[in-house]
Amino acid sequence: MDLLIQTIWEGLVAGVLYALIALGFVLIFKASSVFNFAQGIMVVFSALTLVGTYEALAYREITGFPAAMLALIITLGVMYVLALGIERIVLRPLVNQPDIILFMATFGLTYLLIGLGEAIFGGAPKTMITSELGLPTGSTTITLPGMGPGGSEGLVLIQHLDVAAAVIATIMIASLAAFFQYTRVGRALRAVADSHKAALSVGISLNHIWVIVWFTAGIVALVTGIMWGARSDVSFALQIIALKALPVLILGGFTSIPGAIVGGLIIGIGEKLGELYLAPMILGSMGKGVESWIAYFIALGFLMFRPQGLFGDKIIERI
Amino acid sequence: MADTLVSSDRSPDAAPETEPPAAADREVLLAVSNVALSFGGVKAIQGVSFDIRKGEIRAIIGPNGAGKTSMLNCINGFYHPQEGTITFKGATRRRMRPYEAASQGIGRTFQNVALFKGMSTLDNIMAGRTLKMKRGFFWHLLRHGPAMAEEKAHRHKVEEIIDFLDIQAIRRTPVGKLPYGLQKRVELGRALAMEPELLLLDEPMAGMNLEEKEDMSRFILDVNDQLGTTIALIEHDMGVVMDLSDRVVVLDHGELIADGTPAEVQANQNVIDAYLGVSH
Amino acid sequence: MTESGARAQTSYDTIPKLLLRNAEQFADLPAYRQKDLGIWQTWNWRQTRDEIRDLAIGLYVLGLKRGEAIAIIGDNRPKLYWSFCAAQSLGAIPVPIYQDSVADEMAYVLDHSEVVMAVVQNQEQVDKLLSIAERVPRLRRIIYEEPRGLQKYDHTRLHALSEVQAVGISERHRNATADDWWRGEIALGKASDVAVMLYTSGTTGRPKGVMLTQENIVVSGQNGNLFDGFTTNDTMIAYLPMAWVGDHIFSYGQAYAGALCVACPESPDTVIDDRREIGPSYFFAPPRVFENMLTATMVRMEDAGRFKKWMFARFLNVAKRAGPAILNGESVGLADRLLYNLGEVLVYGPLRNRMGFSNIRVAYTAGEAIGPEIFSFYRSLGINLKQLYGQTEASVYITLQPDGEIYPDTVGKPGPGVEIRIAESGEVQFTSPGVFLKYFKNDEATADTKTVDGWVRTGDAGFIDAKGHLVIIDRAKDVGRLNTGALFAPKYLENKLKFYPEIREVVAFGDGRDFVTVMVNIDLVSVGNWAERNNVVYASYQELAAHPDVYRMIERRIEEVNAALATEPRMAGSQIHRFLILHKELDADDGELTRTQKVRRPFIAERYAPLIKALFDGSREAHIRTEVTFEDGRKGIIEGNVRIVDTKVFPGTAALKEAAE
Repeated sequence: MDLLIQTIWEGLVAGVLYALIALGFVLIFKASSVFNFAQGIMVVFSALTLVGTYEALAYREITGFPAAMLALIITLGVMYVLALGIERIVLRPLVNQPDIILFMATFGLTYLLIGLGEAIFGGAPKTMITSELGLPTGSTTITLPGMGPGGSEGLVLIQHLDVAAAVIATIMIASLAAFFQYTRVGRALRAVADSHKAALSVGISLNHIWVIVWFTAGIVALVTGIMWGARSDVSFALQIIALKALPVLILGGFTSIPGAIVGGLIIGIGEKLGELYLAPMILGSMGKGVESWIAYFIALGFLMFRPQGLFGDKIIERI
Repeated sequence: MADTLVSSDRSPDAAPETEPPAAADREVLLAVSNVALSFGGVKAIQGVSFDIRKGEIRAIIGPNGAGKTSMLNCINGFYHPQEGTITFKGATRRRMRPYEAASQGIGRTFQNVALFKGMSTLDNIMAGRTLKMKRGFFWHLLRHGPAMAEEKAHRHKVEEIIDFLDIQAIRRTPVGKLPYGLQKRVELGRALAMEPELLLLDEPMAGMNLEEKEDMSRFILDVNDQLGTTIALIEHDMGVVMDLSDRVVVLDHGELIADGTPAEVQANQNVIDAYLGVSH
Repeated sequence: MTESGARAQTSYDTIPKLLLRNAEQFADLPAYRQKDLGIWQTWNWRQTRDEIRDLAIGLYVLGLKRGEAIAIIGDNRPKLYWSFCAAQSLGAIPVPIYQDSVADEMAYVLDHSEVVMAVVQNQEQVDKLLSIAERVPRLRRIIYEEPRGLQKYDHTRLHALSEVQAVGISERHRNATADDWWRGEIALGKASDVAVMLYTSGTTGRPKGVMLTQENIVVSGQNGNLFDGFTTNDTMIAYLPMAWVGDHIFSYGQAYAGALCVACPESPDTVIDDRREIGPSYFFAPPRVFENMLTATMVRMEDAGRFKKWMFARFLNVAKRAGPAILNGESVGLADRLLYNLGEVLVYGPLRNRMGFSNIRVAYTAGEAIGPEIFSFYRSLGINLKQLYGQTEASVYITLQPDGEIYPDTVGKPGPGVEIRIAESGEVQFTSPGVFLKYFKNDEATADTKTVDGWVRTGDAGFIDAKGHLVIIDRAKDVGRLNTGALFAPKYLENKLKFYPEIREVVAFGDGRDFVTVMVNIDLVSVGNWAERNNVVYASYQELAAHPDVYRMIERRIEEVNAALATEPRMAGSQIHRFLILHKELDADDGELTRTQKVRRPFIAERYAPLIKALFDGSREAHIRTEVTFEDGRKGIIEGNVRIVDTKVFPGTAALKEAAE
């Protein structure tokens, strides 16, 4: 019982973070129908920028919370410049090109950012400035009601950072949804997602919208980077987590924000439960790596029954 | 008071008492001059010139593939002609971007309806107000103060359009769920929300039944009449074209073959040949 | 009632006097609401009086005189309702005309009623009037509410309503006594004045102008309010044609008599949304409206998720079991009561809200028989839906169902002040304070309808059942007799069958025959759905109609009806012995139905003579060849063999019992 709850909690936290990554993909996919392969590296790049900037500040003996906030603002600025640059250098010249060309362009962007990141911050892993940012550390042990206090029976361990991650990610997702639904820019974003030419005809500037979307994706990447970075450390290996977004997207649909959220939670919890119950049943090396393939396994199952995902637009093939 | 209504009655389409200047004498709003457009080796438009005058309804007609939609796309900046110029409100430019066209006062609808399908009728028409909204991005994030007042004013304007087009019942319906005829009406509403000086309508009556066509004709006439909007429209239904338009441009294979009043154009031998498919 | 109270009562004996009273006593209460540009506008009674006053003075300046008639044409809108009262305040007679009539139909009514002015809603109506101007030479002026599209029209005899009001306002500014003068005009009004002329679309001949007096309207309005206890807190939504007597009594007579609030929809297409926003406490609709609402709900539930569907079905059963009893104030088992309360939160409440019935206290249906399933569906949801029976000639109210005495097959008991009797012929007759004055310029028709002793012939056949409730069975002239002497009421039988969703149309035969037979039209949507679910393949209506399984299904339905008829004393003899399913749908384009979808009996009898012969001569099959008109106007021939099936009939239990008594 306690083990199950512990597992579900961990899965939930992982799920919220997966949802966050998936959200970055969905945003860009909706607005420009590009699958942004660079979303993973954007997570790493933003986190590296944050930590790197802080280190640079620390070198000048500015430390602590104010320095972290300053670094955060600078990083946001960098992400904005990045969005501007991407729009100007990558998207604008390629407008009206087939989607696959744009997809390839995001590959190029990925390697550009890897190169840029290594050149500026070096290849060595960095430690996230968790406590400097004011994020909680430590953990609390909760005794489940009706269970004896003796030993580890009925105890659930809750990392404070996980609670913060879940809360921040939830706020992030909710405010993004509200932004889309209730603001003028949100309406313009939805308009662009529906029809480029109609949006152009009423004077919505695609360039402007793209900058906003990529910047928003950059912010999402930064938050993701902070959360994941705090749980391990900040290195280029972190971009692998972007791959975790893939099954989430398959599950939730490429165009649906609620899909990204529900998909993220299913994958997160499914993964942890798989590890708990499935791994002991499978012998050999397969069993050890359950966590790394179970997500794809769930996604594969979904692909067979609902290729458009849980919330994706229904695909109707006209003959 | 004993005399009847008949003596002074005038049917709505009879000529008004004080004749406004004939369309051809009014001020030029838009002039297309020697425009040529090609895709790869295919010539879509070849050296076409004509003008659209303030307050008129100008029809662009021609057989399929005559280059009519390409012409509209040049005017609102979707396509950039390789040759020639387009003069709008006195400013001549080689190429116009869609954003510029829209902000200068050119609104349009599309042949196969381009709406924001996931959004409601209200939001679609609101989207037409984009350029009229002055308050910045962050005001809107706050949804506060002047931004709210501005939103309300825009909403009022949009409600007037909804009333004008008689689509109150579908205000909150996602437009993707609407029948085609109503979608066309919403699309017109979105273009009207821009308060355009020049309204480009690409086959506004395609795929409509007789009743819907009559409604749409009436809307187009009312827009022209009451809002004073200049209209350029592409239409295949010759009856509609003859009834609505002041002047007609006829294109065939990307070339201009006739330009004049509906009666003149109808009598033009080139036009008759083009429609009967006589080879050139 | 004290003497002074009685005197006060009599001083409010016309609608304009009631307006003045409401503007004094209920000045700040809402009188009218209308949604305009997406926002609900409200006028309280004081503002309403002022608007009507300015309009009335303006109309007077334009030349409207006492005793003259003024047409009112358009959708339900406050300004048009004000036009009624403005005209009446000057002693003029409003004549509302159905706004969807074609110009030609309007011409007759306008000419016959000797209308001198018309207040219309918009350009559409103005165009119609202009097109028939030469046929109504008396029509001097047209006043329109919506200026759109009318700017370029010749305005010598055309006026915007707002301008007419502006004329009234400037007249008041110029002349300080104008207000008093107007009140004086109202004081001149008497209870016996003709208040309104309503033209009834008779099934035969030209429409007749029913003249109703101020007393008719005011007393009927008061009685209607009294019967269901309406107060100034009640709101209704006015959406049925103003030319129809029902709307005139509910949304005008009752509204003024009780100072109720009348909400006008934004447009005829938005009624459901508007109703949801307003949440009326009083609602009237013909059965068709309730039917469509139910269908829409069911269709939406078809698309709902599995859990929602399950919950809906589950709680609908609870409602069916316990709802009507709870609404009637009877005792219900504890378990059912708890379940019903749960259902209220989960299903009924949201559903009522969806339909715009959240605040509904009383809803009425009338005009035609309502399907018992539909009727009890609404009642089971806690909506107090009742039936009434009325006529233009009665200022609506003849009978109504009192609370707690609700039966799907009756139209209730006589309303306040109403007496009814059944004539020898079976015809229902009544006398009441709402009895009309006469038909305008048609003394012959008046004499045909009003008996010498002051009763009105309704033209409907009916009987009063053991509970004292009136049951209407058919139009009196359509009721015939079988050779056995048993009563044959075709519409009564047809309605019973038409309540089944599979059956779209029925024509019953039996007058002067030995037994009753029917021709059935299946409902293509409903039966088509069934066919899809059961993998029945069919290429056309004809093929589906001839399918043996479809025949079996209809046969079962007819036998159910026969079993029900067997329990009714008067009807047991007219059970259905044989039937066939027609090979084509009855269609207005082929002249088989009227444009209002009513069966044209004589035409059908002639067209399908071979089938009718076969129905009675015992054949198992008949050949038929008919010409049809397709949607695009082309004509074609449909022919084929139609099977005829015998059905089971039941011994008349009730008839025996009655004979034994």
